Amino acid sequence: MAKPPLSGIRVCDFTWVWAGPYCTLQLAHLGAEVIRIETRTRPCVTRMLPPWPDGVFNSLNKSGYFNQYNQGKKSLSLNFKHPEAKEAAWRLIKNSDVVINNFAAGVLEKMGFGYEEVKKVNPNVVMITLSGYGDTGPYKDYVAYGPAQVPLSGLSALTGYKGFPPMHAGFSYADPNAGVHGAFAIISALFHRAKTGEGQYIDMSQWECAMDLLAEGILEYTMNGREPERNGNRDSLMAPHGLFKCIDLPEKILDVTIDQWVAIVCPDDAEWARLARAIGKPELANDPRFATLAARKENEDALEAIVSAWTATRRVAYVVDTLQAAGVAAGACADSKYLSEDKHLTEREYFVYREHLEVGKRQHCGIPWRMSGTPGEVKTAAPVLGQHTDEVMTGLLGYSSAEVEALRAKGALD
Amino acid sequence: MAGALSSLKIVEVGEMVSAPYCSKLLADMGAEVVKIERPKVGDRARTRGPFPGDQPNPETSGLFLYLNTNKRGVTLDITQPEGFEILEKLVAGADILIHNVTPPEMDRVGLTYARMQRANPKLIMTSILPFGLTGPYRNYRAEDLTIWCAGGVCVLNGGGPEHPELPPLKTAGHQAGYQGGVHGATATVAAAFAQLRDGTGQHIEVSVQESIASILEMTFEYWPYMKMIATRLGQKPLQPVETMQCKDGYIYLCCIEEHQWRNFVEIMGNPEWAEMEIFKDRLVRALNWDALRPMLEEWVSQQTVLDLYRKAQAKRVPFAPVSTMGDLLNSEHLKARGFFVEIAQPVAGTHKYPGAPLKFARTPWEIRMPAPTLGQHNAEIFGKLGMSEARLDELKRKGVI
Repeated sequence: MAKPPLSGIRVCDFTWVWAGPYCTLQLAHLGAEVIRIETRTRPCVTRMLPPWPDGVFNSLNKSGYFNQYNQGKKSLSLNFKHPEAKEAAWRLIKNSDVVINNFAAGVLEKMGFGYEEVKKVNPNVVMITLSGYGDTGPYKDYVAYGPAQVPLSGLSALTGYKGFPPMHAGFSYADPNAGVHGAFAIISALFHRAKTGEGQYIDMSQWECAMDLLAEGILEYTMNGREPERNGNRDSLMAPHGLFKCIDLPEKILDVTIDQWVAIVCPDDAEWARLARAIGKPELANDPRFATLAARKENEDALEAIVSAWTATRRVAYVVDTLQAAGVAAGACADSKYLSEDKHLTEREYFVYREHLEVGKRQHCGIPWRMSGTPGEVKTAAPVLGQHTDEVMTGLLGYSSAEVEALRAKGALD
Repeated sequence: MAGALSSLKIVEVGEMVSAPYCSKLLADMGAEVVKIERPKVGDRARTRGPFPGDQPNPETSGLFLYLNTNKRGVTLDITQPEGFEILEKLVAGADILIHNVTPPEMDRVGLTYARMQRANPKLIMTSILPFGLTGPYRNYRAEDLTIWCAGGVCVLNGGGPEHPELPPLKTAGHQAGYQGGVHGATATVAAAFAQLRDGTGQHIEVSVQESIASILEMTFEYWPYMKMIATRLGQKPLQPVETMQCKDGYIYLCCIEEHQWRNFVEIMGNPEWAEMEIFKDRLVRALNWDALRPMLEEWVSQQTVLDLYRKAQAKRVPFAPVSTMGDLLNSEHLKARGFFVEIAQPVAGTHKYPGAPLKFARTPWEIRMPAPTLGQHNAEIFGKLGMSEARLDELKRKGVI
């Protein structure tokens, strides 16, 4: 069996929060050696965010959030207030194929690690900045936080219930989207480098990456001069196309009802006829109110009421099994518990359980692809802060143990 | 200078978004792509629009035109044995086959990696599938909405605790397809990198459900770590992070760190109520959101979007406008960066499209040609395979091309 695709590629990882770490997670999944530069004086934001095993924040190493997106990476803890720490970072940069950060434009330059400087010691490096607004343009210094990028991108204006204000995506969607586009860009640049020997710099704007996901909205405007209307879960060419309520979970969590929904979609008349049969109302297939797409769109409220009445007294699993057996596109609106117990993901061994120094073996999401020839794997659990400082300093970076101890005593390795 | 991936030759059998977006990402960086569509009907994205002047026309669908830039197009019915043989010939001359033919359809037409590898031993084949190629949901009927839900993301969005009757809400557009596409492109280009090194190909199987489950922020881990479930009905952990209405549109308030809140209070002119104990930190502001919201709504409703956005950013507070499509097209920042690109296509005319997701210093992202009309390159591509005009006519009569 061959080596993983990015075996032998080393990544000097200055990223933090989510977009950057999601990018380098892909590189780790594909076999790269990813070394995260961290510092105790300003730890990664996600090390301080929930969830925590006991529901209490008492360690920088227990966050499920951090531990999800930093699997398979190494942690090197440096305090840049000390010039010796910068020297260690320079040694890592010299020995890396990729240098990556997701600071706002200009921040890395201020730290002294801008591309112009990096290029001097490592001319063929592939370097990328995944900033909120990009490296150029009048807003290049603006601050961007994950959740604000969704409305900024235009996705919010398109998303929402009919007649209601714009809605969010419910998570910081632009972050992982930028991260995975960044991973694609880095590997493409490595491909070019393997062919030509040339490295290069990549300027990436999270905002722009997100706008590549909404071409239909943008083209409605550029082709027809119109702002698209928000229309909930409905679709102009498919009906039914929505979410339908099933029986709630019996237990509440923090006094909140865990309601359960199923998504059902009929792209054509034949699938609608199958749905009508499956819910015990085969006559509806030929009912003039519902027989054609145009009719179903015209009577969509009534259509949805009929489907809802059927799902409301049933459990999600029953609805999905029944409709899939009938050849209807239906599926659970999965929450974290549902996913965690999902028989399909379990059978496919999607979830990974690696021993972590402080939280032990936990269920984490794994790799969304399988490669037959060069299988990657989640090599290790996420690192505790500074877990690999000694290993990287004395191994790759060529310091003696005595030097490492001296640097630690000074506070350069925090 | 050519694009970073200009040496790669790709065959795509793609419908709608996932496989087409995957190969578009590679094509826009220089790869040569031949897209295979079903004879007569073509890719379903041709029916989706938007259409110029609202006139449905398979040659002017905005979604199709966007997703298929830089590709040459042929029509081929791979469900007929003669069509499948031609697919094998195309694949023999390519580095990569990217497809989203569903598993039941793969079984029906005999599309397996082993068979494709006989045509091209070094082939990379990327199969982007709703639930992957194994497991109990392998053959599930799926549409973008059902996959978005299956990945665990739709449950997070919706009307909130004030509107429990409103269902979980999909994010606009075909987001499951885009995520399957970009995760697939990442694995594919990595396999191409390995192919350079090892001289071998391989089969990549991408699950769109798993691609979505991979981007759930911290929400998935709430169950394994704390036995809690993130839902749209829960309270936000901190506030304000919320959309609000200004005089002329909507703005997104975003005070995640305490200094951002303090700076926002200053922008509001230090109102007395902001000093109240019940608003003293981000956690209690979330608990007392019912009280805080009307205060903020009243002040924000008297502001204009751009003015508040600029004032906030001047104090390093990460507010953002809720951009309309018009806002995006008119943005001075995006204009300065040259984000939108004009693409001329003979039937649809010239329009602005979303452009490069990334700017490479050396190797360009560029639009070399617009999306193909249905079967536009049949003569050229099939001619290169050595097929005579008479043979092409015969295949046309049989409905193979």
